[in-house]
Amino acid sequence: MLKFIIPTIMLMPLTWLSKNNLIWINSTAHSLLISFSSLLLLNQLNDNSLNYSLIFFSDPLSTPLLMLTMWLLPLMLMASQSHLIKEPPVRKKLYITMLIMLQALLIMTFTATELILFYIMFEATLIPTLIIITRWGNQTERLNAGLYFLFYTLIGSLPLLVALVYLQNTTGSLNFLLLQHWAKPLSASWSNIFMWLACMMAFLVKMPLYGLHLWLPKAHVEAPIAGSMVLAAVLLKLGGYGMLRITSMLNPLTEHMAYPFLMLSLWGMIMTSSICLRQTDLKSLIAYSSVSHMALVIAAILIQTPWSYMGATALMIAHGLTSSMLFCLANSNYERIHSRTMILARGLQVLLPLMATWWLLASLTNLALPPTINLVGELLVVMSVFSWSNPTILLMGANIVITALYTLYMLIMTQRGKHTHHINNIIPSFTREHALMALHIIPLLLLSLNPKIILGPLY
Amino acid sequence: MNPSIFIILLTTLILGTMMVITSSHWLLAWIGFEMNMMAFIPIMMKNPSPRATEASTKYLLTQATASALLMMAVIINLMYSGQWTITKLFNPTASTLMTVALAIKLGLAPFHFWVPEVTQGIPLTTGLILLTWQKLAPLSILYQISPSINLYLMLTMSLLSILVGGWGGLNQTQLRKIMAYSSIAHMGWMTTILPYNPTLTLLNLLIYITMTFTMFMLFIQNSTTTTLSLSQTWNKTPIITTLTMLTLLSMGGLPPLSGFMPKWMIIQELTKNDILIMPTFMAITALLNLYFYMRLTYSTALTLFPSTNNMKMKWQFSPTKRAPLLPTAIVISTMLLPLTPMLSILL
Repeated sequence: MLKFIIPTIMLMPLTWLSKNNLIWINSTAHSLLISFSSLLLLNQLNDNSLNYSLIFFSDPLSTPLLMLTMWLLPLMLMASQSHLIKEPPVRKKLYITMLIMLQALLIMTFTATELILFYIMFEATLIPTLIIITRWGNQTERLNAGLYFLFYTLIGSLPLLVALVYLQNTTGSLNFLLLQHWAKPLSASWSNIFMWLACMMAFLVKMPLYGLHLWLPKAHVEAPIAGSMVLAAVLLKLGGYGMLRITSMLNPLTEHMAYPFLMLSLWGMIMTSSICLRQTDLKSLIAYSSVSHMALVIAAILIQTPWSYMGATALMIAHGLTSSMLFCLANSNYERIHSRTMILARGLQVLLPLMATWWLLASLTNLALPPTINLVGELLVVMSVFSWSNPTILLMGANIVITALYTLYMLIMTQRGKHTHHINNIIPSFTREHALMALHIIPLLLLSLNPKIILGPLY
Repeated sequence: MNPSIFIILLTTLILGTMMVITSSHWLLAWIGFEMNMMAFIPIMMKNPSPRATEASTKYLLTQATASALLMMAVIINLMYSGQWTITKLFNPTASTLMTVALAIKLGLAPFHFWVPEVTQGIPLTTGLILLTWQKLAPLSILYQISPSINLYLMLTMSLLSILVGGWGGLNQTQLRKIMAYSSIAHMGWMTTILPYNPTLTLLNLLIYITMTFTMFMLFIQNSTTTTLSLSQTWNKTPIITTLTMLTLLSMGGLPPLSGFMPKWMIIQELTKNDILIMPTFMAITALLNLYFYMRLTYSTALTLFPSTNNMKMKWQFSPTKRAPLLPTAIVISTMLLPLTPMLSILL
């Protein structure tokens, strides 16, 4: 695993020592090389995980998330070039350093064997994200956004620390590979209930669960584009990954404890999808759609069936790429008109036709069109939740319809119709932007040819 | 102040603490405490002002009371055990009295009222000595009598300190008061683990002293004592903004910085003793501390605080103030977490 971590850390001296006109080229090119090297992880053994060392391992669950993380860094760098043009070189290098540090910490989080290392890296990812949101965001609300982000996550995760230390005392080790086999069944006593809550709340806040999602619209909207991309694509999946890992140790208590959170997810996905229909702020719409998709993932993880785990993993990867692409598209709008209001820039299909193609593709994947992996994930989740309880098909079906509604609303509002006159003179699309969108959608479309990679360890 | 007098006072200060730490006779420990207090009061009055006088008077009153209570505890211990050796105390009354005396000396709640006001009235360097060096002597005595300390008294005081340290600092803009409340909260963490594993008290003390030293050195660089003046450091010495941010986040206990290490170890030790609610409560209350550190971070490093325009165009002189040991202190207070197994040297 050092073959990924050390090159990522070395990207930092690369950035600081490059000439000023080469910082973007160097960092983007080298991070792209590192992301290609991540394909080595695909060489998975059938019933076992790839154990690189005592500290790091990778299994079919963490491999697609790792590949997503490493793929995203060059994309983030490409997306940030435009809004940092006017900054002095030191600040550009600082921004890139924050992104690289975040990348290194995320790699260590996804591959950690020892759960305490996972916890430390999980918390450590908060610091660069906080700095990116608060320092480089654009509106005054970013201060509040940073505080909400930090404190919501920390209040959820401090009980997790206590629970992990307690688990180490009772089971003797926090090495995940051992815990899978050593975990004792949890009976439904009060202390076990609190331990279940302590273990899960951190990840439920991170996902986010519907009642605890207040930080997400703030953080996603106020963050600059790279911050939004990494938040939507990877940091939310940290919660899902953590839940998938830790639920293997919380049986059979999960069957009883999961009910309130399942209710919140099922109801929450309808609520947040409906809110999307009434949003005026484009980034806020995409942020709430993230909450809605993640509610599906939470529901899938909580019912703990093989199909639902496969669906959750597939949905995480698919949503990561889709959401990141939608944020890049929203950002391309923002850079031209410096406003996130949707109705200000309408009818863009006439003015920027190729960008409209990317808008169409992103919207189609967002509403889970067959045969994309978004559909694979959603279908598996809907089917497994249906098997858990038949009436949920009403809510799930309603959610799919409302998702289609707001996605098409977003597409039609920005692309179709008569264009507003004041955007007659917007800058045509850059090749960099087209490359960015293409690099998002091509993996998504290619994965629909072989979704086996992203279906996780239970395939 | 006359340099030779200052040397004598500093020497007496150091000698006093050393006497407390190394003595095995209670009388000499008490003498050490008195020497320490006597020497520190003129140091506090280095730059005479009504504020400094008030601070010195409050310090004298509280510390003298504490020393008297300490002596009372020693005498009761002598009555019941017949010897003056510094070991665990042999009588619960003596133990309670001594714990209260040392709590007054440390500034644990509910005896914390003197700490913010005294810290505010004295110059930054003296405040540094107050919040770091002056904690060594009482904690060394607490370490030695730890087997006999009344558990409930200690835990009540420490939990109360963590709460007071968190809530008290929320409404502050003066940096010295913020550091004082942070000191109260950290003392609370340190004394929580004292009845269970005193080694971790020493670890927490070490990390706390390093972090507080770093913070004060960074403040002394620009002679800042308020949040407003700290927010101007981006114009004077930009690197200090990053360093302040990192150290403040470390004080708040965020991984992967070294301020996380004592909190993690304390939670681990308490969990091993089957106490689970208390560390959760302590950890969440420490977030209050993190809130006002974040506020400082925001005003210093992450945003441009509102200021008049001519404040943004200051001359940038090359610095003449020396900051001794600052790079070492910064590295220790932010990057020590991977060396956690090293704490076995404290055993």
